Amino acid sequence: MGNRFIHSAILLAVVSLAQVAVAGQPQAAEPQTYAPPRTADGKPDLQGVWQVLNTAAWDIQDHPARLGVPAGQGVVEGNDIPYQSWAATKKKENFDNRLTADPVTKCYLPGVPRITYMPYPFQIFQTANSVVIIYEYVHAVRTIYTDRPHLPGHIDFWSGQSRGRWDGDTLIVDIVHFNDQTWFDAAGNFHSDALHVVERYRRTGPDHIAYEVTIEDPKVFTRPWKMSMPLYRRQEKNAQILDYECHALEEEAGGRLK
Amino acid sequence: MSGRFLDLTIAIAALVAVVSLTPVSAGGQTPAAGEKPWNPPRMPDGQPNIQGFWANQGRRLSTYNIEEGANETHVLLSGVQTDYTSLIVDPADGKIPYQPWARAKRTETLDNHTNITKWEYIDPHTRCFLSGIPRIFYQGTFQIVQSPGYVVILQEFNHGSRIIPLDGRPHVGGNIKLWMGDSRGHWEGNTLVVDATNNNDKTWFDLVGDFHSDALHISERYTFVDPDSISYEATFEDPKVYTRPFKIALTFGRNVRGEEAKSYELFEEACHEGERNAPNMLYKLESSNR
Repeated sequence: MGNRFIHSAILLAVVSLAQVAVAGQPQAAEPQTYAPPRTADGKPDLQGVWQVLNTAAWDIQDHPARLGVPAGQGVVEGNDIPYQSWAATKKKENFDNRLTADPVTKCYLPGVPRITYMPYPFQIFQTANSVVIIYEYVHAVRTIYTDRPHLPGHIDFWSGQSRGRWDGDTLIVDIVHFNDQTWFDAAGNFHSDALHVVERYRRTGPDHIAYEVTIEDPKVFTRPWKMSMPLYRRQEKNAQILDYECHALEEEAGGRLK
Repeated sequence: MSGRFLDLTIAIAALVAVVSLTPVSAGGQTPAAGEKPWNPPRMPDGQPNIQGFWANQGRRLSTYNIEEGANETHVLLSGVQTDYTSLIVDPADGKIPYQPWARAKRTETLDNHTNITKWEYIDPHTRCFLSGIPRIFYQGTFQIVQSPGYVVILQEFNHGSRIIPLDGRPHVGGNIKLWMGDSRGHWEGNTLVVDATNNNDKTWFDLVGDFHSDALHISERYTFVDPDSISYEATFEDPKVYTRPFKIALTFGRNVRGEEAKSYELFEEACHEGERNAPNMLYKLESSNR
């Protein structure tokens, strides 16, 4: 009890001194790095319900409006995706056929990072040895273990295999073992099974995470390239993820499920 | 660290050490439910720590037909020799107390489940639809993960999941129907009590067509009886389909333990992406109906 009283008194004194010192000076700039609240084991707390607010799911590059698709400024650094020349042709072909060729139109798992920027919320949980992300879209799940390396491969996973580590206050997630079946968006941007994705998650304030992704795929691109976007904390009281059982909804629309 | 926090940390560490030294029972050392209570290790927020990999165990072991347990067909399917016992402990006859129209519908599905002539006879699992409750618990391994104020259940089959908040928030509005229902939980000692509402009507309890409506309301009790066992009881109420509530009982066992558990993980089970039987069945039905 005694300790707590003394702590409060000291805090009050420090705050008073700070106010005296700042009076009459121009307003200080916001701190460069936000110090996030921490979990019980001292890691930045990323937990909660998050969602993106952009049009990357439709097209990760700058694009004008199309019917059913809002215009958007891209999330790709430099707006340039460095395809090898055969792959640039393939991308155009994908785009032309996107209404049927996009795996998401078959309700398949969108892969990573597309699952992050599908226009649906997701929830992050943290344990002592993992970060678990449950996505509302087709109830995709990723368990990002932070205590072990990748399994030997190659394994063909739709969402790859994620392993995480902390670098200061940034969670770095390294993902390999992808199949070649997913697209990065609905505009036909694609990859091979050599895909290697590195994600970075860093809290920048009470309700924001800076999300950055580096894409490497020597079979498709001439060099690595990056995407970045904010993740926004859902503000509604008692926000929770619901469900989007995509292929059941399609069956229902087709009269094959009541 | 201040003195008080350090003391608490030491106390928790000591408790964990004591529990870890307690041998996992092979003999009759562990208390059964209702006997002398045991003191489980705790999460930082005070919840009993039930994290790990679990699976349904024992006599009531079947996703084939919950009224019969593992019958001969299931043994042939799975090669597992088990006792044949209904999952249902109340009513005493082990049968779901269906209203007559519902029993007739269930019998029709059972009679046709090996000769599919209508899409309604196809098990939702075959179509890679979510399991619902309680089927999530007897369709392979599941994992329990806990974080402050939450219990999360991850199912390897079809990457299903349930998120159970413990903060007493209200259920979502009644017009929202969810495949895995809407769960709210709280701990009473070593028992997790969960209330699941907002279920849709599209999941089955088993392969032969045991079903419910969207009025289904489930009350669950998960009692952590020893380091490797959870005793599960759940009451199912659905006034549109049953004449009275019924109750099932299961035992979950920790099926990955010790060193193996440290490196174990659920794998991605991309069910819909690889599933071909259901579309083939449905295509055949559609062409035969032309």
